[in-house]
Amino acid sequence: MSHDDHATHHVNYLAIFFVLCGCTALSVVFDVLHMPKPVTIVLVLAVACAKAMCVMMYFMHLKFEGNWKYVLLAPTTILSIGLPLALFPDIGRSYYISVAPQTGVWAPEISDFESHEASHAEVPAAEAEAAPAE
Amino acid sequence: MSHTAAPPALKMGIPIPNSKLGLWLFLGTEIMFFTAFIGSYIVLRLGSQGWPVDPKDTHINVLLGGVNTFVLIVSSYLVVVAHEAMAQKNFGKARTYLTGTMILAFLFLGIKSVEYLGKIQHDIVPGHIAETPTQAISKVSREMEVVVRKRFREYTDGGAVVTERPNDIVNVVNLIAAIPDGKPPEGMPDYVFREYQATAPGDLELFRKWMNLHQHIVANVSLTVPALPAEYLAARDSLKQGDKFPELKYDEVKDLLKEMKANEQYGSYVSAGVFDPHPIVYGNIFASCYFLMTGFHAIHVIVGMILFAVVLKQGSGLNEKWTDFLENSGLYWHFVDLVWIFLFPMLYII
Repeated sequence: MSHDDHATHHVNYLAIFFVLCGCTALSVVFDVLHMPKPVTIVLVLAVACAKAMCVMMYFMHLKFEGNWKYVLLAPTTILSIGLPLALFPDIGRSYYISVAPQTGVWAPEISDFESHEASHAEVPAAEAEAAPAE
Repeated sequence: MSHTAAPPALKMGIPIPNSKLGLWLFLGTEIMFFTAFIGSYIVLRLGSQGWPVDPKDTHINVLLGGVNTFVLIVSSYLVVVAHEAMAQKNFGKARTYLTGTMILAFLFLGIKSVEYLGKIQHDIVPGHIAETPTQAISKVSREMEVVVRKRFREYTDGGAVVTERPNDIVNVVNLIAAIPDGKPPEGMPDYVFREYQATAPGDLELFRKWMNLHQHIVANVSLTVPALPAEYLAARDSLKQGDKFPELKYDEVKDLLKEMKANEQYGSYVSAGVFDPHPIVYGNIFASCYFLMTGFHAIHVIVGMILFAVVLKQGSGLNEKWTDFLENSGLYWHFVDLVWIFLFPMLYII
């Protein structure tokens, strides 16, 4: 009974705090490293899960609570995993494309725009210096 | 007379206070609430053929998001040590930690406001974002019309132009055109009318520039093609068989707007009313997801602050009766932190 047993467990909250700060920094490092997108997604979400576990286990004291936590949280956990999975097939609907009438002319228009924007990109200084003067 | 020992009283239910049980059940519903948003976000993002990820487009600031994550983690730590201090009956210390949490909560909302302001200043708002160059051109024209009408209202509301049809823009422009060489209406002092005479040429030019752009948008021809009927027809007649005028380009409109914003007479009105055009493909759905998720999270932060304010309001009267309340408020606050732990990578990094 965690409520009465508060004094029986001693958690080094400061250590947990530093772990959480370290994890946050790690997320930003993964973003800065410019790894392949799927790798970044997996790593960043793994770090988020680790942080969530730290908060739930120690700050929310779930590690020290009785078995009621399973009874109370199991349905929510199952449903919260089930809901995105149930929605997943909707990805196939490609919402925007099927309902936006402008999409017929979208692709060439956007590719023109993007290639034009790219042609305006600044030439890196080193390349500009190396280029022969006209 | 025999005495038998009374059987021990039956203790039913879960061995935690009712308030804590209620709070955990509530958190269960809260998890589902945010799961619905996150699930929808996953579907919308993966169901779209693209998504704006460049910070130059979205004005997402990873650094500010990271700082806010740090702020929430520190506040969570302070709540947990405040509860520990309460359990040790050190109420003064608990109040100090809780005050720190409140300050950090305000800081979180302040940083969030800066982020929101950055988006609003660039019109990164659901439903406002042009997603293609054509939409960006139309948006410039629409915003310019609003500026023109606002300028014209200065004349109609101020009494420099007297008309029964103040919203008829063609009617009003003819009346404004007569102001520079005209006389003040009855009852209007000369010095006031002279101000209208000074601004009228600039506002007429603003109207002509907008109307010229509007006509080119309707005809979808380049701004290099004359818009006046006689000149347009002459230019069309000079076209070879099968040739057609070049189409209106996004860059032409961008250059026109730049030139108009630099104008001494009406540039400030155009700058204040017309956003720089920048198409963002799938920008509207991105903005909807961003504001919905971070907005509801911010509401939860405010609710948490109210709970802590109730505890802090006790001042030196804070006692052990408030321990359960603070524990439950703390659980709620950790949940708010937990939601942000997932929102930060999903919205700022991925």
